Amino acid sequence: MIELTNVSKHFQLSGKQKKELATTQDFATAVDQLSFTCHPGRVFSLLGPNGAGKTTTLRMIATLLQPTSGEIKVNGLSTTEHPNKVRASIGFLTGSTGLYERLTPNELITYFGKLHGMEHSTIERRKSNLYDLLDVHEFQNKRIGKLSTGMRQKVSICRTMIHDPEVVIFDEPTSGLDVITAKNIIQLIGDCKAQGKTVIFSSHIMSEVDLLCDDLAIIHKGKLLFNDTLDAFKSSMTTDGLTSEFIHLIENAEKQ
Amino acid sequence: MKAIITICLKELKETLRDRRTMLAMIIIPILVFPLILGLTSMISHSFDEKSKNDTFQIALITKDPGNDFAVRFLQLSDSLGPKKVFFYTNEVIPDSLIMSDSIQLAIVIPADFESAQNTMQTAEIQLFYKETNLGARQRAQTYLGVIEAQYKAERLMQLELPVEKLTPLAMTYHNLSSPKEMIGKYVGGFLPYLFIIFGFIGCLYPAIDLFTGEKERKTLETLLTAPVERWKMLIGKMLVVVFSGLLAAISAMIGLYIAIEHMNFISDVALMDTIYSILNLKFILLLFLLLIPLTIFFAGVMIPITVHANSFKEAQSILTPINFLVILPAMVGFIPGIELSYATAFIPIVNVVLASKELMAETLSPILLIITFLTMVIFAGIAVLFSYKRFGREKSIIN
Repeated sequence: MIELTNVSKHFQLSGKQKKELATTQDFATAVDQLSFTCHPGRVFSLLGPNGAGKTTTLRMIATLLQPTSGEIKVNGLSTTEHPNKVRASIGFLTGSTGLYERLTPNELITYFGKLHGMEHSTIERRKSNLYDLLDVHEFQNKRIGKLSTGMRQKVSICRTMIHDPEVVIFDEPTSGLDVITAKNIIQLIGDCKAQGKTVIFSSHIMSEVDLLCDDLAIIHKGKLLFNDTLDAFKSSMTTDGLTSEFIHLIENAEKQ
Repeated sequence: MKAIITICLKELKETLRDRRTMLAMIIIPILVFPLILGLTSMISHSFDEKSKNDTFQIALITKDPGNDFAVRFLQLSDSLGPKKVFFYTNEVIPDSLIMSDSIQLAIVIPADFESAQNTMQTAEIQLFYKETNLGARQRAQTYLGVIEAQYKAERLMQLELPVEKLTPLAMTYHNLSSPKEMIGKYVGGFLPYLFIIFGFIGCLYPAIDLFTGEKERKTLETLLTAPVERWKMLIGKMLVVVFSGLLAAISAMIGLYIAIEHMNFISDVALMDTIYSILNLKFILLLFLLLIPLTIFFAGVMIPITVHANSFKEAQSILTPINFLVILPAMVGFIPGIELSYATAFIPIVNVVLASKELMAETLSPILLIITFLTMVIFAGIAVLFSYKRFGREKSIIN
């Protein structure tokens, strides 16, 4: 379970950033008083245009950033008070979580298993299961630097799931991937839901949202515009499609 | 502790797989001294041989080719350097002979040379040469020194003066410095300089690779998702940076040893024995006692910069000028007269250089060694703390 209560995040602006943004403010607000809850066994979609604050929100849940105010709890634990315990229960996959190119998939996944405090035998067992599932056996001992994008994505998934996390966070996981590689991610999200894990993912692709999500939140300029189930969203639509309804909501918010 | 070891071993594995780091850490430090010393030795040896065996074209400018000076000059042994003598009359301008490169040394013998000798007066001999013509002046001094000594001895005989009468003082200098002290004080600055420069360069690439490189390759965010405290990540990475610095310094030492042992750079057997007796286990251990906190200090200075930088280029451009800030104090060891004292022992880098010199000369006071060590430990501690503060900042680690 992930619970966000009145979470805000401000970033201090440098002189250069102030010039670029043409502002005299010392801080920029990336997330503004955000509250929502993600439940186990359900897939939660975080939607919003570029710069809406999706990545910042997910990074705060993953304890990479600390909220300026408000509280985030993961499985009942505060992310600021127990960041290590929270990280131990999270699997975080984003386009910006790179891989060590001089290591092999085997070395990399064992490394993260060890960092999660797992026993050698447990790491080997989990690795074997994940390799079977994602067909990694063939390239497990090749340097990551020599792998294709699809192969790397599979390794990233293994790295995210090696410690069998209860909570899985995906930040635009299919961005820039071909359809076959993206299919692996969609499959993984479905599997996580089936296993009763809490899943939160951000995306731009409405077809993925329609296919996978149970609940959704739409944010714009750090503020929450909508938060309910997908069914509730669909029933309240004033346009004829998810994408057009999303654009409509954002445009309305811009006007206000 | 387990997490620190896991991170350290993984970073070490990655570092050893990076060609660029391996080059800076092991290959260049090992090769640089055999190459430099080998080349220097080869060039100086070939120059010595050339200047010793070169036949000098010498012009004797005199009205009388049969004068006493010319006779004595022609009789000089070839062991003083082979020569070919050409006689010219007084009308020749010596400058033109030298400038045309047909002659390397022109000696003008005055017309009154013999009469000056007979009346025991001073005859002025003028010598023309080009200073850029290496060895010309030395050769002239050798030839004329022999002839002058002959005339001096003859005059003393004529005057019936024993040599002692013109030698009021006979000085014998007794050098009480041991060979170790001599090496320590005069060339001892070289060894710590070597360690400091290579230690710094050895730290440089791994520091950039393990911090800026991780940001650039977007692997830092991956690492930060692991349930490990940031200070443990910092220490695990820092250990690899420090190890790389020490490995580079050791590699440079190995290179220097190979150069001395196998390239016949030092031909003096006694000097070689002294060098070997300096490089004993106690010396090496004490040197490492000083170098470990120094290398930690280097790593602590570099890490905040590499954490702040967003690209390899940016980190390199900031760290390159810092390289000079390290070289300058490291060069203090070469300045004669500056010694380890209660003042210099508190200056980082300078204290390590001076203490190493004293260590080599076996004149290091234990109190100054302790002060130097503690100063470096304190500076290293401050640098590590500063690194921790920077590594903990969200802005520094997430783009």
